[in-house]
Amino acid sequence: MPERGPIERKVVAASPLVQIRDVTKAFNGTRAVDGISLSIKKGSIYGLLGPNGAGKTTLIRMIMRIIYPDTGDIQIFGLPLTEASKDRIGYLPEERGVYRKMKVLDLLTFFGEIKSMKRTDARSVASEWLERLNLADVAQKKAEELSKGMQQKVQFIATVMHSPELIILDEPFTGLDPKNADVLKDIMLEFHRKGHTIIFSTHMMDQVEKLCQRICLIDKGKEVLEGTLRSIKKKYGHNAVTIRFEGDGAFLRELPEVESVNDRGNELFLRLRDGSDPQKILAKAARKVAIHKFEISEPSIHDIFIEQVSG
Amino acid sequence: MAMKAHLIIKREYMENIRKKSFLISTIVAPILMLLIYSIPVLALFFVPGDQVRIAVLDRTGVIAPEFLATLTDTLKDGQPKYLVRDARPVDGDFDRLREELIADIAADELDVALEVPADVLEDGKVDYISKNVLNEDITRSLKSRLTPVVIKQRFAREGIDSDRIAALTRGVRFNEQKITKSGILEEKEVAGDLIIAVVFVMILYFMLISWGVAVQRSVIEEKSSRVIEVMLSSVEPRDLFIGKIFGLGALGFTQIGIWSVIMLAIGFSSSMMTAQIASFIQISPTEILYLGVYFVLGFLLYAAIFTIIGAVCSTEQDAQQLQIFAMLPLILPLMLMFFVIEYPDSTVATVLSLIPFFTPMLMLARISVAEPPMWQILLSIALLAVSIWGVIIFSAKVFRVGILMYGKRPGLKEIWRWSRYA
Repeated sequence: MPERGPIERKVVAASPLVQIRDVTKAFNGTRAVDGISLSIKKGSIYGLLGPNGAGKTTLIRMIMRIIYPDTGDIQIFGLPLTEASKDRIGYLPEERGVYRKMKVLDLLTFFGEIKSMKRTDARSVASEWLERLNLADVAQKKAEELSKGMQQKVQFIATVMHSPELIILDEPFTGLDPKNADVLKDIMLEFHRKGHTIIFSTHMMDQVEKLCQRICLIDKGKEVLEGTLRSIKKKYGHNAVTIRFEGDGAFLRELPEVESVNDRGNELFLRLRDGSDPQKILAKAARKVAIHKFEISEPSIHDIFIEQVSG
Repeated sequence: MAMKAHLIIKREYMENIRKKSFLISTIVAPILMLLIYSIPVLALFFVPGDQVRIAVLDRTGVIAPEFLATLTDTLKDGQPKYLVRDARPVDGDFDRLREELIADIAADELDVALEVPADVLEDGKVDYISKNVLNEDITRSLKSRLTPVVIKQRFAREGIDSDRIAALTRGVRFNEQKITKSGILEEKEVAGDLIIAVVFVMILYFMLISWGVAVQRSVIEEKSSRVIEVMLSSVEPRDLFIGKIFGLGALGFTQIGIWSVIMLAIGFSSSMMTAQIASFIQISPTEILYLGVYFVLGFLLYAAIFTIIGAVCSTEQDAQQLQIFAMLPLILPLMLMFFVIEYPDSTVATVLSLIPFFTPMLMLARISVAEPPMWQILLSIALLAVSIWGVIIFSAKVFRVGILMYGKRPGLKEIWRWSRYA
């Protein structure tokens, strides 16, 4: 890489927190990641979506420089990942593991220390987190004696205890019960509010809708769609309308804007054709029936996901 | 940016020193081994052995009394070893008495009958009659007692003073004195050198294998517990590699330390033994220093090799098949050791001891029994250091790639390819 001049340095300072440029990685001839480019802004929650085997984990491992890309380059904090910047990142890998024979508090203290925390700080911060996640009574137990869910919470603590600027979570919700998944989500939002950047991969769409500002959908190593949640819904989602009324609604089925109708008893769920304006439907309906409720429904990411991946 | 290797060294050391397996291999195993080895020795000292009932049928009439007078050996418990009987026929019928003695042996009332023929002075053969004619200990000792008695009778018959002959034909005795730089060593100390050489080489062999395997196991554990990715997101592979090798190496050193203390304690507590051993086993501080130096260098070399094995395998079973590659260069010098001890300054021994994989054990053996020139010792250390450098660089790269690989074990070609990665 040529040396950066002073002008370029300015650009770097203004550049996104994570910049991925045309990254490719093949295993035994199969392209696990195929020409993906992303930029992730500071302070955002970024979701990597995709079915199993789409290349999410490979991409994340490349961000962490655990494996190296065949082509392309990745910069974090404006530089390729350095030893020093590892301390500013918290990473929860998909393959979760702990030193099984170590006591939980010792384990967390050690994980804090290798993130350059002072031993005493690491110990007290770890204790606070254990308290918060209802694990205080297992602090002196060996890691192997913990249930899977508990182990996962311990690993999550290890990921965030040094309060990293960038938090990368690979399938953080897998294996957690709904209650603990909510606890995790709250903590993620808390870090978000404090200005930390979070990248996480998942195939659970409801979490994406609740958490992310921006997402990237990956399938077979390729970027299928990328952008803010809103713009994606606008671009790829079909409009839909839920309507409740009094009178004969048969004409609704004949409207050119309507693609399909789902009768839900009291209500009709109308799926509109691309580019159709719901306001026109409202105007037409208002002339023929008495409307009690008219709601423009957003398409769910789940629907978009299924459609884009299977299509 | 400070290296984080020291944190990993500390963790490896503290976690492993608390393990039961460390306690067992440091304290329990040596005690068991000592017990097993001491059983035959103790048996030799405390089991009295059996008495031998022996009858001599002397057809010359002049041999038996003097011969039987020489059988004064005692057993450990002070009892006479030989219960002797001078068998003289009352009626002069030697043949019938012979039959009776044979019957006694058959009935287990007698162990050995010796029949000295009338022509024994003319080279007649003595019959040794027993149920067990292969007991070397007894046949040899009886033969060696009987021969001088017969010879003395032959001299007497020729009118020669046998005592005078014995005095004049006495052999020359050697007093072995080994010249070393520090002066002249006595005969006993030469034997001591041998023991030191064997013990040192065995200690080194045992330590290199057990701690090499410990490193390998630790790498596999890191892989199988899947903790490796978390580690790599915080530290460089280099730190992890260094941390494992030095953490466990320090533990090995601790083990040597504990053993030294125990051996010294045992030595002091039984002062008699100390005096006895100290009279011929003299371990110089230089030898201890070399033991330390060659353990450290040997450990680095072999730990790096065992690391490669651990990094390319996913399970212990996998690793056991590959271990032979690391074991072979350790077993070979063990087999060559006795040759090297016998001819420490030969060209073959010199060359062997300069081969880096053999250096720790064979150069240490040479240093214990001879005084190899300083340039050879320094050359061996230099060659070893260069090899360690090469092997560590290679294995660190294989480690870097291998630790994330699960499942099928890679072939040699693939491992080589890994080492070419950035």
